[in-house]
Amino acid sequence: MIFATVISSLKREFRNLISRRIYFATMIVVPIASACFLLSLLGDGLPVKTPVAVVDLDNSTMSRQLTRTLSALQSVDVAYRYPNFNEAMNQLQEGNIYGFFLIPEDFEREATSNLAPTLSYFCNMSYYIPGTLSFKGFKTMAVSTSGSIVSAQLLGVGAEEGQVDTILQPIVIQEHPLNNPWSNYSIYLCNSFIPGIIALMVLLVTVFSVCSEIKNSTSPQWLHTAGNSIYIALLGKLLPHTLIFSTVAIMCQSLMYGYNHFPLNCNALTIISAMMLLVIACQSVGLIVCCIMPNLRLALSIVSLLGILSFSITGFSFPVESMYGAIGIFSYLIPVRHYFLIYIDQALNGIDIYYSRWQFVSLVIYPIIACFLVPLLKRRLSHPIYVP
Amino acid sequence: MNQSSFKQWSSALLKVWTREFVLVFSDIGVLLFFILLPTIYPLIYTLIYNPEVVHDIPVAVVDNCRSTNSRQFVRMADATEAIHIVGYAASISEAREWKNEKACYGVLLIPHDFDRNLNTHQQATIEFYCDMSLLIRYRAFVSSLTSLSLAYGAQVRHQQYSLPSSTPVNSHAVFTGNPSEGFASFLIPGILILIIQQSLILGISMLGGGRAERRKINGNSDPLTIIAPSSASILGKALCYTVIYIPLVLYMLLFIPTIFNLPRSTNIIDIILMSLPLLLSSSFMGLSVQKLSSERESSMLVIVFTSVIFIFLSGLTWPRYAMSPIWYGISSLIPATWGIEAFVNINSMGANLNLTATPYLMLWGLTLAYYTLAIVIETHNKKSAKAISSVNKH
Repeated sequence: MIFATVISSLKREFRNLISRRIYFATMIVVPIASACFLLSLLGDGLPVKTPVAVVDLDNSTMSRQLTRTLSALQSVDVAYRYPNFNEAMNQLQEGNIYGFFLIPEDFEREATSNLAPTLSYFCNMSYYIPGTLSFKGFKTMAVSTSGSIVSAQLLGVGAEEGQVDTILQPIVIQEHPLNNPWSNYSIYLCNSFIPGIIALMVLLVTVFSVCSEIKNSTSPQWLHTAGNSIYIALLGKLLPHTLIFSTVAIMCQSLMYGYNHFPLNCNALTIISAMMLLVIACQSVGLIVCCIMPNLRLALSIVSLLGILSFSITGFSFPVESMYGAIGIFSYLIPVRHYFLIYIDQALNGIDIYYSRWQFVSLVIYPIIACFLVPLLKRRLSHPIYVP
Repeated sequence: MNQSSFKQWSSALLKVWTREFVLVFSDIGVLLFFILLPTIYPLIYTLIYNPEVVHDIPVAVVDNCRSTNSRQFVRMADATEAIHIVGYAASISEAREWKNEKACYGVLLIPHDFDRNLNTHQQATIEFYCDMSLLIRYRAFVSSLTSLSLAYGAQVRHQQYSLPSSTPVNSHAVFTGNPSEGFASFLIPGILILIIQQSLILGISMLGGGRAERRKINGNSDPLTIIAPSSASILGKALCYTVIYIPLVLYMLLFIPTIFNLPRSTNIIDIILMSLPLLLSSSFMGLSVQKLSSERESSMLVIVFTSVIFIFLSGLTWPRYAMSPIWYGISSLIPATWGIEAFVNINSMGANLNLTATPYLMLWGLTLAYYTLAIVIETHNKKSAKAISSVNKH
């Protein structure tokens, strides 16, 4: 008897999913297209050849040598030479270059006669990545220029070649970026934004699907198909979504870890199960919102705001630990935050699954809370009132 | 166009304009997007990113040397902006345990021969292991470690070789547009522009969905629609939204940067001039896509996620010069792309409208293009609606 009602509920929902283009678009096209978009856009991992300029007011052997060395760097592309500061500054303000390097007048003379001239560099930090890359290039240049002058002086007073390096740099700090030695932006951004988009779409579709029944007054019929049990009704409605979204999400994961060879230092099943739990947790959050606010438009507005904010508040780019405490605490309410932490510990760092235990537990709590709240929804489903 | 038909056209425009005001202000769902979202979102976003920089990130030390020099080095590391030493781990495996438990995000390993190398005038190496879950932490570490190794090197040179601790060449970095190198200062100007565009498109789609629903109920004609030529009807609506948004633009683009102490411009005139084509082109874009939504709510499902796509296309995070021609081309069709470039130039970099001519003219270009597109779509829809209603009559 129960089995038959479950089957007829499932059938009803599959018919519903097929009858409307919007489900195909939001459940399948949007997640996969977004994943392909991000992977393609960030394909290079790190932008190379940031356009920068040099302003050489000295025009000496040393300054020309400096410009040549700068041009040889991988991170910057010395696309322009400007005769003065103002012209370079205008180009920087126009956004044609992301930084410029200023060699002052009499640079060579002052540098070789211990008058300590100043090399200045200007970086447009309102664009973080190109600004940082040009800064890195310029800083390297300034330090190595200083170094080459000292080493010339040391060799002049009779130091040996081998000693010069030690004197120039008595200590070396060797950096080991763990598991992403290329500091690849694609690995870092895709692993947070693709699951973020999936989570957003699950939230929206869940709310849309449940509340549309109320809006269109089809909810009594829906409940009737499920033998008047709210749990069977929701199972019949949401299980097909879980299956479709999980399949789509796993396809996105295979695009990242399979096709693009992103670091996957754990068992593939771990990250797949985390993803499926994320889908279920987001469905549960959507359901909780429906229980509290069973009005299609308001509920959709709430999950839209929540879903978009979650890209920021879950600390994908700016760490939660550095946010104001009163703001950061909200990140733990959002399912994709827990998935993101699992990804870091498991897929990226490959540490023992023991350290992810609380994240897995958190993801399971959402459906449990939803189960307690759904009786609230039942009243609304049997007496649908649509407030336009 | 002769004088009387122009008169008719402009009176139709005025009627559409006033009717659209009534429609907007009688719809709570639309007001949510037009008023509440642009008011609240900038506050929330800035509060999230307002701490600006990541500093004092927990780091563990594994000191296999245990000498005065190594302890002094650790003290100097602790004093840098990014690094906060949380403690000495007995071994690298204990430090790894700390890292797994998120007690630290970096490990500084000082080898046993550190002191000996320093004293025997050999280069000493220190290892730093960095967690790569967030690149902003790595960036902060790298910057602090670079200055640390330079400062420590200068000190050793001074003590051991009696060389001057100053360098023969000074260097001076200026971070234009974002002097604090902060995250809010970098991201918020772009987000503000994107909020303007996206809230407009969402609100307009919801108005469009409302129109479609009224048509469905009333036998394919909307009783609240003013009969007007497409060019007047589209322009009238867009002007209505633009007028509603002008105070919001002042709030978002002038007030928000001021109260949060973000990079800001006093060039109010240029900011208003720049936002006009942004508002118009976003409105026309919204009016072009609004026919996609057959009911009020479904528009949200397909529009909300595009915010993420548009922020990546804008070049704020991933610079446009590094995009493939396809993505570069598509990004050029989004008003927010040019809006962000123009606003960052004026607001953060202190440029005037003259120096930001390219994005400004592109915004007007998009305004014209989307206006034409919206008229074409509207005219097409009117024809098909007429065809359907005449079929219904017979």
